[in-house]
Amino acid sequence: MSYSIGPILAPVLLAGVLSLTMIQGGVVSAAENEPKAGDITRGAQSWAENCMRCHNMRDPREFRDDLWKPIVTHMRVRAGLTGQEARDILAFIQNSN
Amino acid sequence: MCTTRGIPKSTKLGLIIGACLLSAPVLASELDALKQQVEDLQTRIKEVASKQSEWKQATSVVHLAGYGAVSYIDSEDSTGSFNQVQFAPIFHYQYEDLMMLESELEITVGPEGETETELEYLTLDLFLNDYAVLVAGKFLSPVGQFRQNLHPSWINKLPSAPPGFGHGGAAPVSDTGLQIRGGLPMGGMRGNYALYIANGPELELDGGEVHEILAEGRTRDIDGDKSVGGRFGLLPVPGLEVALSFVTGKAQDQTEVQPPQDYDVIGADFAWQWRDLELRGEYLRAEVAELPSVEGGEWQTWYTQASYKFLPGNFEGVIRYTDFDSPHADDDQKQWALGINYLFAANVIAKLAYESNDGQTGSATDDNRILAQIAYGF
Repeated sequence: MSYSIGPILAPVLLAGVLSLTMIQGGVVSAAENEPKAGDITRGAQSWAENCMRCHNMRDPREFRDDLWKPIVTHMRVRAGLTGQEARDILAFIQNSN
Repeated sequence: MCTTRGIPKSTKLGLIIGACLLSAPVLASELDALKQQVEDLQTRIKEVASKQSEWKQATSVVHLAGYGAVSYIDSEDSTGSFNQVQFAPIFHYQYEDLMMLESELEITVGPEGETETELEYLTLDLFLNDYAVLVAGKFLSPVGQFRQNLHPSWINKLPSAPPGFGHGGAAPVSDTGLQIRGGLPMGGMRGNYALYIANGPELELDGGEVHEILAEGRTRDIDGDKSVGGRFGLLPVPGLEVALSFVTGKAQDQTEVQPPQDYDVIGADFAWQWRDLELRGEYLRAEVAELPSVEGGEWQTWYTQASYKFLPGNFEGVIRYTDFDSPHADDDQKQWALGINYLFAANVIAKLAYESNDGQTGSATDDNRILAQIAYGF
């Protein structure tokens, strides 16, 4: 297997993915009318299903509420979470410590 | 006993009125003092409440995370030593829900006592919407799961990386460029993706063959042809993730004597958790095409790992099998690794492991090893 994507096609590919996610963002939020605020119940489920994918569960009491925010944001990027999942998990953790 | 019998009613009334008139100024001053105290307390409560909720109004937040580890390795043909002292601070600077700067340093002590520092990654993450984050900078390769998610010592369940997943192996370590990544709801399932364009790797040639793929993020691109890569993960049910990865581009001899060669990587990985049992595995194949003057080559590695927590979750048993093949016989290695961990806490782990290694006779890859490590993630 030996092929190469040229320097022109690569940015086009990235732009295509970006456009798709923008469309996804608009369609999903309009169709499901998702709340922007975090939901504690959904957050508990997302926390249980996602954190263990890579590492041991961390205790919500380990950090203050304000420190959990950048931690969860970091995990959103690393674990491929949606923004809503990240807000839900943050709401759950901040209500559990 | 005092009694008021015999005192005329008019006299009694006079005495009461006199007493009230005398005490009235005293009560009024006490009430004023109490009112002042209440007002002071209310002001103090407002001040304390305001201080307590300051973080909720702050637009920026700073957080220091990271991990550290100390390891001991004793191998068959060399003396045992405390061979790893590692400090890996991770800095998070976040501005609202718009931007985050993330950076990890890896500070280690070398064999002669010197301190070595590397910038593992530094990215500016711009949150475009709920489903897309634009990541710019030097980032950990999203190809596969070990490098981007499992390499920190407090997460890796064994003291060593699987052969082929470290520096100079089959798996890309990091790259420098732009990446879009995020999560996507997919009906009843969930998905995640990462797609990047970056400078790509270089090659270290030895004579007419590729000695090593230098797949660590660089700020130059000598071949001028950007690499494109990514990973697409699917979570059909909670606890299970399957994913495919790829990279395609060119890589050139770092001395620029030879022309660029095609460079391609494909990979697949999975992870499954059920109660205290975890299974995961990963396959990667990197290929460098040949030139008339330079041989090509194929680097291929895979591992599968099982771990299980027992005795109220504090002990964890781990077993991992890895098979790494490269164009160089002295790098090839088949490895069984058995480990037992004790979790003082979720992020404080003591590990003891034994590696049974099968490599080229006489090479370091053939030496069996005993490894111990204490790791702390913070």
